[in-house]
Amino acid sequence: MKRTLAFVATLAGMLAAGAAHAACSIGGSGEVSTLSNSFPSLEVVAAAMRECSAGAVKVTTKLTTDNQAETTQALKAAKSPYGLVALTNGSITPAQAAGQLRPLNDFVAKYKAKYNIEDSMLIKFGNDVMAIAFQVNAQHLFYRKDILDAAGIAPPKTYDEVLAAAAKLKGAVGIEFPLSGTYKSGWNLAEEFVNNYLGMGGQFFKDGTAEPAFNNAAAIKTLEVMKQLVGYMSPNALALDTGASAQQFMQGQVAMANMWASRAANMDDPQQSKVIGKIEFAAAPTIMAAGKPATTLWWDGWAIPKNFEGDPELAFQVMMEGLKESVVQANNGVAIWTRSVYKPGRFAIGTAESARAGAPPYPMVPQQSLAHDAIGAHIGDFLAGKTTAEKALADATETYVAAAKAKGLLK
Amino acid sequence: MNTRSFAGFVAPSVVAMVLLILAPLIGTAWLSIHEGYVKTELAEVRTVVPLFGGLTRVEVQKVPQAVRDADGRPVRIWNYVGLDNYGNVLRIDRLAAGLSAAAAGGVDWITQLYRDITTIEFWSALEFSLLYIAATTPCVLLLGFTVALAVDRTAKRIRGALIFASLLPFIITPVVGALSIYWLFLDGAVVNAALQALGFSKFYFLSTATSIRSLIILYGVWHVTPFAFVVLYAGLQTLPQDALEAAEVDGATAWQRLRFVTVPHLAPLFAFVTLIHVMDAYRVFEPVLVFGSNLYANSLQYMTYRILNLEDNYSKAAAASLLTVAGILVLLVPMLRRTWREHRAA
Repeated sequence: MKRTLAFVATLAGMLAAGAAHAACSIGGSGEVSTLSNSFPSLEVVAAAMRECSAGAVKVTTKLTTDNQAETTQALKAAKSPYGLVALTNGSITPAQAAGQLRPLNDFVAKYKAKYNIEDSMLIKFGNDVMAIAFQVNAQHLFYRKDILDAAGIAPPKTYDEVLAAAAKLKGAVGIEFPLSGTYKSGWNLAEEFVNNYLGMGGQFFKDGTAEPAFNNAAAIKTLEVMKQLVGYMSPNALALDTGASAQQFMQGQVAMANMWASRAANMDDPQQSKVIGKIEFAAAPTIMAAGKPATTLWWDGWAIPKNFEGDPELAFQVMMEGLKESVVQANNGVAIWTRSVYKPGRFAIGTAESARAGAPPYPMVPQQSLAHDAIGAHIGDFLAGKTTAEKALADATETYVAAAKAKGLLK
Repeated sequence: MNTRSFAGFVAPSVVAMVLLILAPLIGTAWLSIHEGYVKTELAEVRTVVPLFGGLTRVEVQKVPQAVRDADGRPVRIWNYVGLDNYGNVLRIDRLAAGLSAAAAGGVDWITQLYRDITTIEFWSALEFSLLYIAATTPCVLLLGFTVALAVDRTAKRIRGALIFASLLPFIITPVVGALSIYWLFLDGAVVNAALQALGFSKFYFLSTATSIRSLIILYGVWHVTPFAFVVLYAGLQTLPQDALEAAEVDGATAWQRLRFVTVPHLAPLFAFVTLIHVMDAYRVFEPVLVFGSNLYANSLQYMTYRILNLEDNYSKAAAASLLTVAGILVLLVPMLRRTWREHRAA
């Protein structure tokens, strides 16, 4: 009964998203195009933004999972066709370091009362507001409560416990593999490394510089733990992307995984999931004995490019119309919103507990994206058994140094 | 034809080629011998980010920030660097180190040399691109020819529908085609389910280099066979019937007729299909992108894409793409030389 009610409520919420909140109320004229990634909360926000297309105002939205490449090019061009670009901790730093974003302090001051712009939504570099964040996301533990209970295992809190549970669950009835994860070689694999290495207390760069410092004992230990984890996953693990590994979960093939919180709602989606209600969420496991959860906290937000050829104030208003309180209230379960009117449900537990236990935000320095890419290009070799951990990290460091020099971040 | 009218006829094509081919090529070469970036300096920056439910985290750290000029615009640096970008892509130093280590001998030097070379992105990409060409070309020609022969013998009534169906793989957008093949071979997907229903044990198609490379080659053959088919089928329509009848009268079997009349007649078309396919296959990109593993299979085009978009380095990507062009030219030299000689002889 409770499940049906929750399902009906979510469905009604999503269907009524268009009508449940107040219509767009901005004046002015001009055209605003937006560019963003594509996942449920962005779809909701984009739909609210499109409502502002009336009279002299025209709003077009573009949602694509390939937005990162296009955003980089749009911000670099002489004139950006997009008035609003969606950014995250990882993608804002190179743009901010290259001076490609327009500070929003004046607009925030002007519209603060109208849209109740909360301080927790402002992404500030120094005194400048560079972006408005609307949701937070993190990778945390998803587990099949029924499988763990049947085997008499408590929800693991550390990776040692995860490995012990996986060993116990190997060959268990009802699942194919104890573990899954977003281990696809490239960005996803590097993200796992970043989470675990930071959980191991590691540092990516020498203090205050862009010099690499991720080829050390902590990094090697991180890679070894990851290799052990991969041993309990499908042999295809290094080629499965986020969608495919979430599907493994939803098809009931896997018992535990460290997945993105934004996928939590899908686990109870009757159109995709065979395990509705059987999945529980918890903070990401720690990798060191008394450490913090091995995960990083991400935010998603919007920014206005400095080279936008239209009216930035109009773009700002469109942005706030997409992020206003009524949109959040009408779509409460779709994401972990930053607004205070958000009522955290069970899908937010993992992120909340990880944040409270002190998980760090994803590092916000521009050289991090270069390191991320270099690591993603090389550590797969170690996990596939083609080379040693030291050599993989040495290669990653070399690739990073070349890329950082080319960007003038290293001499 | 006098020179002036010749120039008049050729001028539009020449203008188009200069604008669309030569000028971009020169522009790319220009980009590749320079480096450009925004000048940054380290500054202490205080960042505030939301965590959850009103919690925020404040971090103060030294972050590279853009240096601004008098107008407040970020200062851009643009330097001439000669062949540095090419050197960064080719990594001759590491190649030389690997070769000298192999020359020093020792047990297993071939495997070690292979490993040393393929850890350099360019050479591992080149290795797979060449492997892809070598594996797909014969299959495409053979399969295309077989399908052309088969369609040629079917009843005229269903021929149109058959041709349409055979052309479909070529019409499908490469990314969509590669994705469909990828989805067929995932855990618990159609192919695995079918194999299990037939009694085989579960096979993990995406877990080893051999199987992923085979899948990519499978995609390549599936995608290009219709092209070979359509060209060879058209060629089959021009077969000289009297030569075939004469051969039959002389007592040639079907296989001998095929070998001594049909194939030589179609030889120029085989050469044409090979030429076009080699040029296309060298630039394979979509399956490498979709199967997601530059871990197991990398290609030159994917490497260029990664440098441009993820490393965000225009100049190095320009160098990589020019090296790709140079590679295609090297591959095509034998064929071009032969065509030139035939042209001269005619």
